[in-house]
Amino acid sequence: MGLSAEERARYQRQLNLPEIGLSGQQRLKAARVLVIGAGGLGCPAALYLAAAGIGTLGLVDFDRVELSNLHRQVLFASADVGRLKVEAARERLLALNPDIVIRAHALTLGTDNVRQIIGAYDIVLDGSDRLTTRYLVNDACVLLGKPLVTAAIHRFEGQAMTYLPGQGPCYRCLFPSVPEGAVGSCADAGVLGVLPGVLGALQASEAVKLASGAGEPLVGRLLTYDALTVTFAELPVSRRADCRVCGEQADIRAPEDSGVGSASEGLEPARRLSATGLKVLLAAGKANGAPLVLIDVRESWEFAARHLEGARNIPLGQLERRIAELAPDDAPIFICRSGGRSLAACALARRAGIIAPGHLEGGLLAWAEHVDPDFALGFE
Amino acid sequence: MSCTVRIPSPLRSYTRGAQRVEAEGTTLAQVLASLEARFAGIRFRVVDEQERIRPHIRLYVNTREAGALAAPVAAGDTVHVICALSGG
Repeated sequence: MGLSAEERARYQRQLNLPEIGLSGQQRLKAARVLVIGAGGLGCPAALYLAAAGIGTLGLVDFDRVELSNLHRQVLFASADVGRLKVEAARERLLALNPDIVIRAHALTLGTDNVRQIIGAYDIVLDGSDRLTTRYLVNDACVLLGKPLVTAAIHRFEGQAMTYLPGQGPCYRCLFPSVPEGAVGSCADAGVLGVLPGVLGALQASEAVKLASGAGEPLVGRLLTYDALTVTFAELPVSRRADCRVCGEQADIRAPEDSGVGSASEGLEPARRLSATGLKVLLAAGKANGAPLVLIDVRESWEFAARHLEGARNIPLGQLERRIAELAPDDAPIFICRSGGRSLAACALARRAGIIAPGHLEGGLLAWAEHVDPDFALGFE
Repeated sequence: MSCTVRIPSPLRSYTRGAQRVEAEGTTLAQVLASLEARFAGIRFRVVDEQERIRPHIRLYVNTREAGALAAPVAAGDTVHVICALSGG
């Protein structure tokens, strides 16, 4: 695949690198790279991949741009709020580099479409914010023999690893499963805006290396980064003989989103209360002398900053151990900041035999928006 | 004997935000017990009721992965507690 005079000028600094050179740049042009999630990780990764001359760049995201995305999702401008992310991203990336092809996939990846989407690409970058998607994408990459560069972030910390088919551990080797509610989402826990910039750029760097054939990929090594202390650590990861998808007795034959539920993904039904609905129930409970059992599952420092009157604090991470503090027929209502952790708490309580647990949909943010505008959480 | 334990972001609410803490012990089990004594509840986030390291947690002594709580820890070692992250 030849390069035009303009392309040679555009990529001159990269062509000057002996590790890339003309043949490497031609390989980049021929490469098809898929970025899953146009979020904090996907945005910087896609910018660098487009700039580097990856010939075909796919983006998967079903979501629309929100104002709260803009502190880290650097593909988008204020005027893009409300637009489909993949559409706004395509425009921005083509403005940066009109010589490449951008494919926008405005959809949710699932077991029904993941093979078809990933099958059309050579390299996959996972920047999704759902654990179920991480397992699904991993399985698809293992089964289809596609390299996968995965990264994840939380508050000030990030981690990244590259999977190469047949050569190293996959994501299920790294973390065989993740219990529901064990890991907080960025929406609940917060994230430093520049953090995914570091990790997303690392993912792009890995993809450029894989596509061009330069250097040594991050295979069998987990890279962790702590922005607060500027600490990188590189830790070895081995293939697991008992891995369900790449192990010796693998039993996963088709991509699965099994084995997890993140804090924001309640997998079991729960009573969902709106903020105004909860207000009515609280008043009724107070009037008839049977106050509601309100359990605030945020961390203790969040609870200390502000909480609803009468609420008790059992952080989600302690709930399993302290579930005996609740009677089976308490019908507790779980509360958190935005409704993710409380939904996970419902599922956990139900498994522990608590009858009819409920949660405040939208969390205390919804309470502040719809019931009590003076209820400031104090850390936003 | 004292070692340094690096705490992953999702567990820092137990250590009042500290990213690195000191702990005592000559095995991982003792180090985790030492942590628990100071930061109640943290051990259960790392080890389950059957004393197994949880599947979304990995423990390293320096850069050596520890598959069991009996793994030795020497003075001056760094124990890395790695936790799966989900944010993107």
